[in-house]
Amino acid sequence: MIGLMKSMATTMKHALDGKTFTVKYPEEAPDVSPRFRGVHKFSQERCIWCRQCENVCPNDTIQIVQDDQRNGEQYNLHIGQCIYCRLCEEVCPVDAILLTQNFEFTADTKDDFVYNKEQLKNVPWYKGIDPLESRNPDRSAWIGEGDGEVDYQ
Amino acid sequence: MSLEPLDSPDADVVPDRTPEELEALLGDLVVGRDDHLNAPGFVIRPDTVQETLSTLKSEAGYDHLSVVTAQEYENRYESIYHLKKFDDPTQEVSVVVPADKDHPVSESAEPVFRTADWHEREAYDLIGIEYDGHPDLRRILLPETWQGHPLSLDYDQNQPQIASLPAHVNPIQEHHKDAESDTMYLNIGPHHPATHGVLHLKTVLDGEQVVDVESDIGYLHRCEEQMAQNGTYRHQIMPYPDRWDYISAGLLNEWAYARAAEDLADIEVPEYAQVIRTMGAEMCRIAAHMLALATFALDVNGDFTATFMYAINDRERVQKLLEDLTGQRLMFNYFRLGGVVWDLPEPREEFFSNTRDFLDQLPGSVEEYHDLITSNEIFQMRTIDTGILPPEVAKNYGATGPVARGSGVDYDLRRDDPYGYYDELEWDVITEDGCDNYSRLLVRMQEVEESAKIIGQCIDLLEDWPEEERNIQANVPRTLRPDDDAEIYRAVEAAKGELGIYIRSDGTDKPGRFKIRSPCFSNLQTLPEMANGEYIPDVIAALGSLDIVLGEVDR
Amino acid sequence: MSAAPAQLFPEFIAETLGLPGVAGEVVAALIAAFVVGNIVLAFTGVAGPWAKRKITAAFTDRVAVDRVGPFGLLIIPASAVQLLAKELIVPEGVDRPTWDLAPIVLPASALLGFAVIPMGHLGPVNLQLADPEVGLALVFAFASIASVSLVMAGYASNNKYSMLGGLRAVAQNLAYEIPLIVTAMSVVIFAGTLQMSGIVSAQQEVLFTVGGFDVPAWYALVNPFAFVLFLTANMAEIGRNPFDIPEAPTEIVAGYQTEYSSSYFVLFYLGEFVHIFLGGAILAVTFLGGAAGPGPESIGFVWFVVKIWAFFLFTQWCRSALPRVRIDQLIEIGWKGMLVLSFANLVLTAVLVGVIV
Repeated sequence: MIGLMKSMATTMKHALDGKTFTVKYPEEAPDVSPRFRGVHKFSQERCIWCRQCENVCPNDTIQIVQDDQRNGEQYNLHIGQCIYCRLCEEVCPVDAILLTQNFEFTADTKDDFVYNKEQLKNVPWYKGIDPLESRNPDRSAWIGEGDGEVDYQ
Repeated sequence: MSLEPLDSPDADVVPDRTPEELEALLGDLVVGRDDHLNAPGFVIRPDTVQETLSTLKSEAGYDHLSVVTAQEYENRYESIYHLKKFDDPTQEVSVVVPADKDHPVSESAEPVFRTADWHEREAYDLIGIEYDGHPDLRRILLPETWQGHPLSLDYDQNQPQIASLPAHVNPIQEHHKDAESDTMYLNIGPHHPATHGVLHLKTVLDGEQVVDVESDIGYLHRCEEQMAQNGTYRHQIMPYPDRWDYISAGLLNEWAYARAAEDLADIEVPEYAQVIRTMGAEMCRIAAHMLALATFALDVNGDFTATFMYAINDRERVQKLLEDLTGQRLMFNYFRLGGVVWDLPEPREEFFSNTRDFLDQLPGSVEEYHDLITSNEIFQMRTIDTGILPPEVAKNYGATGPVARGSGVDYDLRRDDPYGYYDELEWDVITEDGCDNYSRLLVRMQEVEESAKIIGQCIDLLEDWPEEERNIQANVPRTLRPDDDAEIYRAVEAAKGELGIYIRSDGTDKPGRFKIRSPCFSNLQTLPEMANGEYIPDVIAALGSLDIVLGEVDR
Repeated sequence: MSAAPAQLFPEFIAETLGLPGVAGEVVAALIAAFVVGNIVLAFTGVAGPWAKRKITAAFTDRVAVDRVGPFGLLIIPASAVQLLAKELIVPEGVDRPTWDLAPIVLPASALLGFAVIPMGHLGPVNLQLADPEVGLALVFAFASIASVSLVMAGYASNNKYSMLGGLRAVAQNLAYEIPLIVTAMSVVIFAGTLQMSGIVSAQQEVLFTVGGFDVPAWYALVNPFAFVLFLTANMAEIGRNPFDIPEAPTEIVAGYQTEYSSSYFVLFYLGEFVHIFLGGAILAVTFLGGAAGPGPESIGFVWFVVKIWAFFLFTQWCRSALPRVRIDQLIEIGWKGMLVLSFANLVLTAVLVGVIV
């Protein structure tokens, strides 16, 4: 019986302290970490169309179309298929593709989640924060070439 | 550390043997050597599997069949039995069984190791090797009506992959329905409130008592092994381990891949990165165990129990820390081969103090869970002496993790096969001797406290780490091409137990064969042992105490 | 105990509206039943979609139903419309008349129980429909019809989970009805009557006086042991945690109500809540002095409402904290524990009453 009483006392304590753990979203939104990875933002000014992001993407979410001069024509990204691994941002040498902290996006059909270049450019920053600083990309760490011969792929 | 192994007479009796001594022990059974990076490999004939394995088990003390890997080469099929010792998992041996290319038949290991049952069914299902003498060789992950074996080399993806059930049914098969029978067949799942995902339990009931229960898995099968085989070592595989045990145990899973691939490519991880990995992994363990506790309370107390929400709240706190560290709440993708992707978040002091706050309030929370559930008489009535899994049975089924430790099997890879920074830190392996649902819960609750100890020590270390030595990644080539035909099996202690990865390289930048040893897969196999003869609520409780994640069972 | 029985609610209506003769009595009785029934249904309307969720949220540190209307109260009509607007899915192979009747029997039986409950005075009105001399026996009889409904639903649904739920309901009700009634008999021995008003008025006497405050002879205070027994058996009778095994959502999906949807589900849901309130009402009448409380008699109904809502809160509190017992353990507790204890209590009470009185 004592155990039962203890259980009931514990829940009653929680009921009476008046504190809630959940919040009234969306009026009060919990903080999103600076490193949080949300929807992508694309910068055409920066992009050099090197196609490394397309290449590294584990599940072919990014599709790039170039003309015969290798000028970029299309940059499509299926944000519903994306697994938000951030490898595209990591490989990008010019920070042309960035994952904003914006996680609030909806669509009526799955097709609406295929974002083209213009849509990707217009993705807003979450609360106006550019996450690049906090991500502190340590490029030296990943563009290393190892001790062996240099590998240009 | 805390407890001596319960039942390990072998430890004293069986001496450790060198590969040559083992070869001598097996004598004529060995027809060749095919050593792996982690263990000596003995090639044997396909009709001597049982003899070889039982010799190794009884005379050399290899009592843990970790996993059965099957694969197809250009000229042959191959099954690899990865054996270990529960007392010392660093002693490994691989038994390689080639099978004929045209008629891949190999003797089943099921009579020696019960765990081989499901592993061989999986090998049959995905690769197409048939196991002679297997008690129940059916498909396990794919639907019964699937055509072909998807990981075999000649598998044609363009063919219709699944036949309709009417077309598949054998018209002359006899219909087994006994009108006089006292039993009732009941489908628990695949959509049921307590199966923790899409699991289907085929249950035969006698009144309220369970006569037989059989798990039907594979509803969440994504062929993660094949996905990994299509990804490059360097980057593309790492996001996927997060999706096996997706209950926020991601870093633990990533570590399994990282450990195997780093050992395969001979990459040295900087010490600083190892400490961060250890800390992150233990945070994941707390998150995973909190969810296990929450859902177990849900299964026993019924929905609307407050315990569930309290444990979810605590998990939320640790997830917040993980989000600060990794940038994601479940699918972290934080490890990289040779280290981690980011250093601790700036400002570091804030991260340390947040973590310390969490660690400080954790003992209070755990105390509260003891008040809420473990000291509750009804809860004790429900969980003590139900779902019994004796240690010998647990070993035979290859159960690991809290399930094995709840049965008194003192087996924890963090201590027994050290990796990361674990061997430098002060912590204990928790075991309980109750072998029941209650013990498994207690093990998890105490492991949360041990993890907190580890995190606290890591935080202290990281805080004092000199700034110039904070090296988070080793210098790793941008494209990794391990030597051709190198094979390795490496395991880590994930939230649910031994999570192992077997990789065979084929000279390209993608693995030739990538095999996942899922702890949940082996643990779930023990369910009939726990459940038969018990009541329906006990089956649900036993299933909850196994703490399976279907994403990892089905992969 | 010998106070003249107060005017009952139908008589009051007949008198106020000036309805003469037998026909008038019938009409007045129907009006009175309509009013009482709606009071009870209003309770369940508040309890089901709103209060229950608010209470559960408080226990689990959450914010709940706060979107529609003040304090989220408009969720009540919203939920009602939502539930009733859903499609009624009739599974193949259900045993049709039985399957349709079960959701009516449950709320009906529980509502019938309220016919004899003295709900106290509200102003000049005595909210009691009837006061037969066998009131207590009658109310238990009505309440136990509920288990018939559960069996009907479980049997007729053509679903194995429903069947298990139905069987569990019978086993549970058998195991707990007897201790419940035997414990109630100890109250009858004290009060010397089965009449509900008699049991209530027997509890008006002063037990002892503490600092000028008269503690009434509520049977919960006279015999706390019987009270605890009755409370436990009552929880099992109405199927709430830790005895909610006929539903047991994590084990047998939703037990007898697995196959019910739309308005049929609403009826079950309603019936469950009416049943909880009936359980609270029986408890209030037999052990907590009925509608008695500080203040004039004319606000008795308020106290009565407070008491049955307190019982409702208690059921929700238990649900947040207590694990569900297993069916075999429940039967064991019922037959081996509760039954023995309740008989011991009965004998003890009989001896005490025989010696003292």
